Amino acid sequence: MGETEKNVILSVKDLNVKFTLRGQVLHAIRGVSLDVYQGESIAIVGESGSGKSVFVKCAMGLLDANGSITGGSIRYGDQELTQYQTDADWLKIRGREIAMVFQDPMTSLNPLKSIGKQIQEAVELHQGLKGPAARQAVLEVLADVGIDDAARRYKQYPHEFSGGMRQRVVIAIALACRPKILICDEPTTALDVTIQAQILELIKAMQKKYNLTTIYITHDLGVVANVAHRIAVMYAGDIVEVGSCDEVFYDPKHPYTWALLSSLPQLGVKNEPLYAIQGTPPNLFHEIKGDAFAPRNPQALKIDFLERPPMFDVSPTHKARTWLLDPRAPKVEPPAHIRSLSQRGGLSHD
Amino acid sequence: MAKYITKRVLRSLITMFIIITILFALLRLMPIEGYFENFDKVSATQIQVKLNSLGLNDPLPKQLLRFYNQLLHGDLGESNVYRRGVAITEIIGEKIPVSIQLGLMSLCISLAVGLPLGILMARSTRTRFKIGDRLGTVFIVIVQAVPSAVYHILIQFAGSQTYVGKEILGLPMLFDAANPKSYILPVLSLSIGSIAYYAMWLRRYMVDEASKDYIRLARAKGVPGGAISRRHVFRNAFVPMVQYIPNSILFTLMGSLYVESLYSVPGMGGLLVTAIKRQDNTLVQALVLIYAVISILGLLFGDILMGIVDPRISFAKKEGSR
Repeated sequence: MGETEKNVILSVKDLNVKFTLRGQVLHAIRGVSLDVYQGESIAIVGESGSGKSVFVKCAMGLLDANGSITGGSIRYGDQELTQYQTDADWLKIRGREIAMVFQDPMTSLNPLKSIGKQIQEAVELHQGLKGPAARQAVLEVLADVGIDDAARRYKQYPHEFSGGMRQRVVIAIALACRPKILICDEPTTALDVTIQAQILELIKAMQKKYNLTTIYITHDLGVVANVAHRIAVMYAGDIVEVGSCDEVFYDPKHPYTWALLSSLPQLGVKNEPLYAIQGTPPNLFHEIKGDAFAPRNPQALKIDFLERPPMFDVSPTHKARTWLLDPRAPKVEPPAHIRSLSQRGGLSHD
Repeated sequence: MAKYITKRVLRSLITMFIIITILFALLRLMPIEGYFENFDKVSATQIQVKLNSLGLNDPLPKQLLRFYNQLLHGDLGESNVYRRGVAITEIIGEKIPVSIQLGLMSLCISLAVGLPLGILMARSTRTRFKIGDRLGTVFIVIVQAVPSAVYHILIQFAGSQTYVGKEILGLPMLFDAANPKSYILPVLSLSIGSIAYYAMWLRRYMVDEASKDYIRLARAKGVPGGAISRRHVFRNAFVPMVQYIPNSILFTLMGSLYVESLYSVPGMGGLLVTAIKRQDNTLVQALVLIYAVISILGLLFGDILMGIVDPRISFAKKEGSR
């Protein structure tokens, strides 16, 4: 971390997002605040439906038509992104400032355009190059992302590439935009395990080369351990804990983070069933009272059901939204295997 | 690509050969009255003389071979009833230009109106009240659901019998090659179905494409909305349509059976009706053959076009690597 921490590049304050589905209102993001620092790599983890994708889509104006930001602010530099109404406004941000890599490389490329042309589209839009110069830039970025024989590959179509290669092309498109922030929405979920590590390495290398700030969205804690400086844990449309990688892995404070870590197969004990979080995530069509995780938390306090906990500071970099951190709270110890995590030398993943 | 085309052409030839043979067999089942102008008045010997001269008393294999041979030389036979003794190629040669003329006009109108309508509808699905899409859908459903005879008659009536049509626009009810105004109603009738057809399919495919992931990526990389519609959505939506367009074009050019008889247009469509009504066997045979050939050509061109616009269809050696 160190000095990179100082400049906030993207600042989200008390963001609320609601969707209208068949006349019902779904409160997908419930007052999320998060600062993203220049040059860092932050991972947003959470289960499906916790709102992590919706959260980053807000920063690019890519919410579906039935969703809208109902409160809070997203500041990028001196711009207030929640003020943006039209596509024309967002064009100042999309690609140019923030680019995105999507989950499924098999479907995120236009099947009828050569990959060279698809990258060139981004080059022409954001680097102001045309013709042979643009083509040259495409070949360079192709080489950057580790695609050999770029001149031949330029003319090929997506169906001539494997999944991992396509994800490299998608990354090349994002890089060709010359963004400041790169959002990777589950960049490896759709890939073979053998390819996953390569792609993560590539993103890491590109982050260094282009001086990017990266935001990973994932439900794979192994990915997080590999790439992130900081972790934000999302649950039911809210960030429940945020801190540096070490803090969240070795000194988690929120019961949901405990549960999430406990369900890692690496922490399982031989001949015992793997841990699974009981219950189901809350229905976001209903307004949530108290701590959203309380109904699934066997050690929940009475107040967890009554009042929403504030964010407590654990350290200058570590915050968690749980009543357990209130001075009046009884002392609840994290599960034993979580406590022993640091002694076991952390997560072996790679 | 060349290999693919050759293969497709060869297959079409085989299909055509089969159709010709079946057609020949079917026509042998037709009553022989169809070869005489006034069957009731000819004697039995005259009938035999005529049948002999037409070669219809020869053994079937011999007749079949002769039929192939004639077709290879572009000879479709002579009309027996409709215009006795006149070569069918000549009859068709007179009729076809009229149909093609009207067909071309209607083709231009249906593409020029149908495609933009489809694009407009597709774009309107993303607006709040989808007014454009709803109105367009009403139009398409009416055109598709109401039997075409009904709206053709409505067009003819509204265009030529009502006050506006008759007195102000002065549109005649029937077609007259010398009067340009008389082209308007038949062309309108011919176009309306195709307009709905093009609009419906283009809208459908564009809506399909617009919800795909790569459109999301294009948006995320900052491509403006108009460019996404043009470069990504429209182009990709057009691909599945390309396959059917040659067929629909060819059939538009060949004239419509119903519209031509309604406006008494002396074109191809009307000819088939007349030929069947008057039981002119050779003429029916020739016309059926022509329509079959057109279908096959339409499909063939469709497949070839598809191979050109869609890079995924490739019969060449695979170059990609895993």
